[in-house]
Amino acid sequence: MTGQMGLNCRHEAPNVSSEMAPPTPYGHVCWVYDDPAALDRAARRFLTAGLAVGERLWYVAAGRAEPVVAKLSATPALRDALDRGSLEVVSLGDTYRTGAVVDGPAQVRAYAAATEDALAAGHRGLRVVAEATPLVRTPAQLDAFTRYEHLIDRYMRARPFHAMCVYDRREIDGRAAAELACLHPETNVAETPFQLYAHDATGHRVELAGELDESAEDLFGTALERADLRPVGGRLVLEASRLRFVDHRALLRLREYARQRDAAVVLRSPRAAAARLTALLDLPGLTVEVAR
Amino acid sequence: MRTGAAADRHGYFHEAVRYDSDEELLAVAVPFLLGGVTAGEPTFVAFGERTGGLIRAALPAGSGVEFLTGGSVYARPTAAIRSYRQLLADQVAAGAGQIRIIGELPQIAFGATWDWWARYESAINHAYDDFPLWSMCAYDNRRTPPHVLDEVARTHPRFATPGDGHVPSPTYTEPTVYLREECAAPADPLQDTPPLIELTDPTAAQARAAVQAVDRRVLPPDDVDDLIVAVSETVTNALRHGRPPVRLRLWAGPDRIVAAVSDGGDGPKDPFAGLLPAGDGATGGLGLWITYQSCNHVSLHRGPAGFTLRLTAGNPH
Repeated sequence: MTGQMGLNCRHEAPNVSSEMAPPTPYGHVCWVYDDPAALDRAARRFLTAGLAVGERLWYVAAGRAEPVVAKLSATPALRDALDRGSLEVVSLGDTYRTGAVVDGPAQVRAYAAATEDALAAGHRGLRVVAEATPLVRTPAQLDAFTRYEHLIDRYMRARPFHAMCVYDRREIDGRAAAELACLHPETNVAETPFQLYAHDATGHRVELAGELDESAEDLFGTALERADLRPVGGRLVLEASRLRFVDHRALLRLREYARQRDAAVVLRSPRAAAARLTALLDLPGLTVEVAR
Repeated sequence: MRTGAAADRHGYFHEAVRYDSDEELLAVAVPFLLGGVTAGEPTFVAFGERTGGLIRAALPAGSGVEFLTGGSVYARPTAAIRSYRQLLADQVAAGAGQIRIIGELPQIAFGATWDWWARYESAINHAYDDFPLWSMCAYDNRRTPPHVLDEVARTHPRFATPGDGHVPSPTYTEPTVYLREECAAPADPLQDTPPLIELTDPTAAQARAAVQAVDRRVLPPDDVDDLIVAVSETVTNALRHGRPPVRLRLWAGPDRIVAAVSDGGDGPKDPFAGLLPAGDGATGGLGLWITYQSCNHVSLHRGPAGFTLRLTAGNPH
């Protein structure tokens, strides 16, 4: 992932690692840092990768723009982009309403409009590094922002918008980091046991990666609730080709989640073990389709 | 409406048949089976090939007795309980007043895995007591080791004998008592060697990775995946319900992987844990029940240092 996305994982916070999920084509990264220098390098690489393919670049800074401009300018290509105007450093307050609870649909509309503007101006898309820590400080903010993260994740499946969502480990606890990271297809947060992300733009189908066991039970329930999946034709379909392990708790939870939505749930997994477990549990409304 | 020796009984009427000759087996089994058919009761035989053939030959053509494939029924105790309970529930739903079954464990069950089959024989006194079942478990004295016959006497309330005899077993022990006793499963010879991996207080994820690490690709991948499920659940239970330290040891042989999960506690309080889905259907009680159906042998050991569950994938014999 680091090669393609251009992220440098060498300077890591204590609970993050280079063990990243494999690349997915749409570039939605959760980056939690406690070393600003490491963040700076990672962000510059993320932006440089977009520059190479002609994307408009934004850096949404939590604080003042000037220090960020200075840091980005250390990379000559980014300095040129700043000069040309294809890279802009904007203040968080200009992009999100800070201090408030994010309005997810409105925020998605704002980025959608900005993406279309970028395309209209001849760019291949919009790529954003967003320092979002001030938007997740309270439980209400975190709840709304994680819901927004899944909404924008769906949008990224449809349109050429890419984002590196940056959170300061020194300001959010491990649980908050996990709640944010698990709703991204890519993250540097090593303790994220699983990831739930969009399979398509409609949000009708999501993918699961990682491992779902007892230690992830509560986090999984929270993630499902926030993703707010909508059944299609009476079915919720989850793609689980990257899900390495799923236990009976997660299967029971999925089935209950679908039942509350008057739907059957289908887990498409390469692992026959999940199908055998489902057969043991004898749960109508839960099907594991084994696709090796 | 129940008939025969089990008339006026409620629930499960569980007998063993210990026989010295084929004639003695037939003298008990044939009247039992024909009595069931005559009474209009669903009547089943779950025998292996040889004894199944004997019974078939001794019954009149079109007797109405149904033959189950004994080999697959008796692959794993918990799976046997699950499939028999389903069969019994279906028969009761269809209006059966009594169901009769005569069955036998395959010879291989008297070897290294006898301890969990003995637990099965004890647990079913409870597990089948929801149903109007009269069953006989047949043991050939010529082929069954004496220590197995001792456990048969302790796990069956009575013996059926030729001439419609039904004799109480003097050593019968209630399952709630029997299942709490230490049952001596023989050590696997692999356990005499140093474990390939030993972890203290692993997370379930680390335990799963350790199983993958000792996999030499000699077992079918599905068997390894099922062992991973079992080890994950066992370690999760130990971390959640046991006492520290939780220890995982793993061995790999040419035809099997053995995992031992220990903790400093006393093990599950529910004597039927693993054999029946525990309690009120809450998810917490399912882990051990799933474990019992994901391995080819599960043995329990309670000692001064705590509780150990040993899980075997592949060939436990």
